[in-house]
Amino acid sequence: MRQRIVVTGIGGLCGLGNDAASIWNAMREGRSAIGPLASELLSDLKVRIGSEIKTLPDHGIDRKRTVTMDRFSLFAVIAAREALAQSGLQVDENNTYRVGTAVGVGVFGAETTDDNYRKVFLEGKSRPEIFTVPKIMPGAAAGQVSMNLGLRGPTFGVTSACSSSNHAFATAMDQLILGRADVMLAGGAEAPMSWGVLKSWEALRIMAADTCRPFSADRQGVVMGEGAGIAVLETYEHAKARGANILAELAGVGMSADASDIVAPTVEGPMAAMRACLADAGLNPEDVDYINAHGTGTKANDQIETVAIKQVFGESARRLSVSSTKSMHAHCLGASGALEMIACVMAMREGIVPPTANYREPDPDCDLDVTPNVARERKVRAAISNGFAFGGTNAVVAFKAA
Amino acid sequence: MADQLAEQIISKIEEHADPAVGAVGLDTELTSLGIHSLELTEIIFDLEEAYGIEIEMNTVEAWSNLKTVQDMVDAVRALIAKKA
Repeated sequence: MRQRIVVTGIGGLCGLGNDAASIWNAMREGRSAIGPLASELLSDLKVRIGSEIKTLPDHGIDRKRTVTMDRFSLFAVIAAREALAQSGLQVDENNTYRVGTAVGVGVFGAETTDDNYRKVFLEGKSRPEIFTVPKIMPGAAAGQVSMNLGLRGPTFGVTSACSSSNHAFATAMDQLILGRADVMLAGGAEAPMSWGVLKSWEALRIMAADTCRPFSADRQGVVMGEGAGIAVLETYEHAKARGANILAELAGVGMSADASDIVAPTVEGPMAAMRACLADAGLNPEDVDYINAHGTGTKANDQIETVAIKQVFGESARRLSVSSTKSMHAHCLGASGALEMIACVMAMREGIVPPTANYREPDPDCDLDVTPNVARERKVRAAISNGFAFGGTNAVVAFKAA
Repeated sequence: MADQLAEQIISKIEEHADPAVGAVGLDTELTSLGIHSLELTEIIFDLEEAYGIEIEMNTVEAWSNLKTVQDMVDAVRALIAKKA
């Protein structure tokens, strides 16, 4: 019998709010953070909308540290601080080597790349700024979290595009089960609202012009967002021994690859990941009350995901609540799964399923209960969160109510 | 008394210093500037470009022992003199 892994703290920030509580309040109200992009630097893009963090919280992190951090690392540290504070865990010399962090990042420090390309190619500067390399590297978020919080256990970045956060939860869980750490801060961070990243997404021709409308027949595609989410994960024994407040259980994970196409998803890959997740978590289809869908708002994803859910859940698919919170926080790429973790944990704690916002027209090919526009009260015993990705790298995580 | 060289160096330093530090003077200690050690290296690179001097890496290491802004000004002045 393997160790149970529990969640004892959550933190996050995104367009919906600067902490987990405000994010959850917005989700519950079905409020979308998608709006016009503020930055002048992005004004010549076709992409005009996104979910941005307009004002960062007063984080009080030393300038000496912030000059070494790209925006995505700063997000990770802010979310990690919040999560650790909620967990009540004191990290000191006695446990520092037993507390680690795994942070999912799908892209890299794109703002730093853009800034320095601009300086070198447009402004004639002779060299990029000195912290360019340590700011850009995708593993920086995990390193910065460890430095800021004094965590000396297993620390690394995890990357698999849009499923990075879920793979981070999976690998963090492994560290705990294998006894390599007692506590892991896991989640994801992304700051993709830079000219280069948005321009590249534009080239894929899958960006929505109006907003993100997952499962709605009139959807136009993906909307980009930024943010981070972190969960404090620990073994049940460790949490119990220190008298921690247990918010939920990370019951299991399921992973698979499509091994098919770099961008087009398959039905089989997501099905296999969901099945593996249920098996890993010891859940039957009828035990799950809520699915936080990958739900990007592209026709390909939404229809394929619907078919996959029906195949895996059979009869139970009809009584499940499904929603895509990307309709509110947009697609935060490597951070999406971490923000969706907040939705799952809070849905179980409050018995409220957050809705799919911006929904207008039923799509006969997406005929599950997608919780259109208004949250639904219902007991949520267990929730799964789907993460699929370019590259066909699927990861699904399951949470059980505490 | 700050001469032109000192003023230029101070303004370079101020670009990188924590704004909370306030005015930078010749007697300001480099460690009080809230500047990361690598950033100090970046200031050195800026000075190299501005004054057409070259600072060898072992010199850079020596620079990490500089205490005040005055020490930095003196070091740059010495390199400029050497070049001339």
